[in-house]
Amino acid sequence: MSADKLRSRDDDPSGRALSPVRKRSLAFFRVTALWEAFLVALGSLRQNKLRTALTLVGIVVGVAAVIAVVTIIQGLDNKVATTFSSQGSTVFSISKRPQIIRSREEFIKFNKRKDVRHEDADAVARLCSACWRVGEAANARETLKHGDQKFENVNIRGVSPTTMFDIDGRAVDAGRVWTDSEGISGREICVVGPDVLTNLFGGASADRVIGQEVRIAGRPFQIIGVLEPLGSIFGASRDSVAYIPYATYQKVYGARDSIVIFIQVPAAQQLEVAEDQVRTIMRNRRGGAFSQEDDEGFSLETQDVFLDLYGKATSNIYLVTIGVAAISLVVGGIVVMNIMLVSVTERTKEIGIRKAIGARRKDILTQFLIEAVMVTAIGGAIGVLTGFGLAYLIAALIGFPLLMSVGSAILGVGVSSVVGIVSGLWPAWRAARLDPIEALRAE
Amino acid sequence: MSDVTLATPPAPDVLPAPTQSTRGHDVNSLISMRDIWKTYQMGSEEVHALHGVSFDIPKGEYIAIIGPSGSGKSTLMNLIGCLDTPSQGEYWLNAKNVSEMDDDELARIRNQEVGFVFQTFNLLARATALHNVELPLIYGGVGSAQRHEMAKQALAAVDLADRVTHRPNELSGGQRQRVAIARALVNHPSILLADEPTGALDTHTSMEIMDLFERLHGEGNTIIVVTHEPDIAARAHRVISIRDGLIEKDEKIR
Repeated sequence: MSADKLRSRDDDPSGRALSPVRKRSLAFFRVTALWEAFLVALGSLRQNKLRTALTLVGIVVGVAAVIAVVTIIQGLDNKVATTFSSQGSTVFSISKRPQIIRSREEFIKFNKRKDVRHEDADAVARLCSACWRVGEAANARETLKHGDQKFENVNIRGVSPTTMFDIDGRAVDAGRVWTDSEGISGREICVVGPDVLTNLFGGASADRVIGQEVRIAGRPFQIIGVLEPLGSIFGASRDSVAYIPYATYQKVYGARDSIVIFIQVPAAQQLEVAEDQVRTIMRNRRGGAFSQEDDEGFSLETQDVFLDLYGKATSNIYLVTIGVAAISLVVGGIVVMNIMLVSVTERTKEIGIRKAIGARRKDILTQFLIEAVMVTAIGGAIGVLTGFGLAYLIAALIGFPLLMSVGSAILGVGVSSVVGIVSGLWPAWRAARLDPIEALRAE
Repeated sequence: MSDVTLATPPAPDVLPAPTQSTRGHDVNSLISMRDIWKTYQMGSEEVHALHGVSFDIPKGEYIAIIGPSGSGKSTLMNLIGCLDTPSQGEYWLNAKNVSEMDDDELARIRNQEVGFVFQTFNLLARATALHNVELPLIYGGVGSAQRHEMAKQALAAVDLADRVTHRPNELSGGQRQRVAIARALVNHPSILLADEPTGALDTHTSMEIMDLFERLHGEGNTIIVVTHEPDIAARAHRVISIRDGLIEKDEKIR
C-alpha cells in the first residue's frame, strides 16, 4: 500500500496554519481560476454545439447589420467628400449670397447686398498675392436642343478666364477650350459635359460632336470641346453641363446677375492667408456697407459648406439607421441571456459541487461571464466578417468605393463583448448566488 | 509498494495562538460546537432543525453521526462542512470561528479545511479523474505543475494511479467514490466529511470504501461519517446519535 503519507493537515503539529505554499500561491489564484473558467466555458460551448450555434446567429446578425450599415455609410460619406472636393480643398469663392440660405430673413438680408461684379474679380486678381488662380462664373439652367432632340435642365456655366476649367477640376476629353480672344469677344461657342452627347447626339463619340451645333436659349452654339466625365452625386449628374465664355453668358442673360469669384491657392496651407487677403480686399471695396448690421456684404465660402450641409442632413438619418441595426444586437443580447440562464439551470449541480469544494462567488461569476463573452466575441468576429461581406455586395451593386475600417471591426467585436457582459451578468450573478446546499440537491 | 507520497504541507507559518473563547470552546479540539441552533422559516412558522447542539471532536477521531431522516443530521452535516452557518451558537473549526463568516470566507474554509465525500460522488461528469481531483487545488490557487503532482499522488493513494485520464462514466461506482475521496484529501483538509458514502454502492464495494476510511484514519485523518446505516456507523470509534434536533446519545464504541 502506498498511502502512508496520505493524511490530513491536522496531522501537522500546529494543525492550524496555512502552508507557505498555499499563501504564496494566492497570487496565482486569479490566473488559475480564470484559466479554469476559460476551459470550462470552452468545454460547455463545445458540448452544446447546436445551442452555441443558435446563440452565435443572434449576435452575428446584430453585429453584421451594424457593421454593414456603418461600412456603407462610411463609403457613402467618403464618396461624397471626394466628389464635393473635385474643386479641391484649395478653392474658395466670393459671392453675393452664400450657397446655403437657411431662412427667409437671411434671403432678404443677402439680397440687400451689392452684387459681386467683374471689377471685384479683377481687383482680387490684381491685389491678392497669395491667390494662384482667380476666375469668375455665373450659372443658369437651360434646355439644350439639337435638331429635334431636347435636353432639359442643363447647367449653363459662364466662366472667365479659361483657368476656371482648372479651378473647377475639369479636363477636356476631346476638342479644346476657347482662346482668350474668343472668350473676350463673346463668341457663341461651348464646351459640353458628356451627358449632352448621350442626350442630344445619341451617344456619339466625343470627336464626332466637335463642330456640331446646339441651341442654348434659342441661340446656336458651336461645340468646340467635350469634358471628361465627373459622375453624379445623389442622382444629380455633374456632367449635364455646358461651359460658355462669360462674355457670351452676359450677352444671353444680361449683365445684371451677380457673379461668383473663385480663387484657388497652390496648396491648402495657403488657404487661410489667401482668404484673409481676399476678405480685406472685398471689405475695402464694400466700404460702408459692411459696417452696418454686422454684415461683410459678401460671402466667402469653401466647398466645406456642402460637406457641412451634407453632414447635418444625413447624420440623423445615419443615427436612426445604425440604431435600427443595433436593435438586432439587443435582440442577440437577449438570446444570449436566455441561453445563459438555461446553461446556469442545467449546471446547477455542477455549481453546487464547485462551491462545495471551495469556489467563491466571483469564481462562479467569472466562469459564466467568460462563457457569455466568449460566445458574443466569437459571434462579433463572425458578424464583422459577414457585415463587411454584406457591405461589399451592396457596394458592388450600387457602385461606390467601399471603406472597411479596422476601427469598425474592433468596434463590432468590442460592442458584442459588452453585450456579452451585460446579458451574461444576470445569469452569472444568479449562478454565483446559488446556495451550495440547494444546488447540490439539484439533479 | 511504490513510495508515492502526497506533497506534505510545508512547515506552518506562525499564527497567533487561538484565543480562549468567552463561551469556553475547547482550544484543543479540532471541532468545537457550542449551543448550535438552526432555525428555518417555513411560511409564518419557525422550524428548529437543531435545538442547541454542543460537542467537541479532537484531532484524529473517527466519528459517525447517525439519525433517522428529519433528525437534523443533514443540517448538522451542512454546518460542520461550512456549507451553512448556524442561526445561533458558535462553531470553531481548527481554531477559526466559522459561525461568523461570510460566503466567501466559508468557501475558503471549505476549500482548505473540509474534504467532502458525497453519497452520489458528485464528480464533474465531463472532467477526467485527474481534473476532478485537481479542482480544489484550482480554487486554492495552486500552480499547475504542483497541482498535477499533488492530484496524481492523491489518486495513487486511493489505488487509481492507472485511471488518471478516465472520466467518471468510464469508472465503476467504487472507483468513482475513490476519485471523490482523493479529491477530498488532495488539499490536506482538517476533516474528511462523508455523507452516506456507501449509499449508492453495493455491499462489497461499500466494505472496500469503509476499509479505505479505516486506513485513512490510521494515517491520522479526522473522519466524520454521516449515515443512517448502523453497520456503517459501527465502523467508527465514536457515534453521535441525533434525534429531533438534539443529541440523543454520544458514546465511544471502541
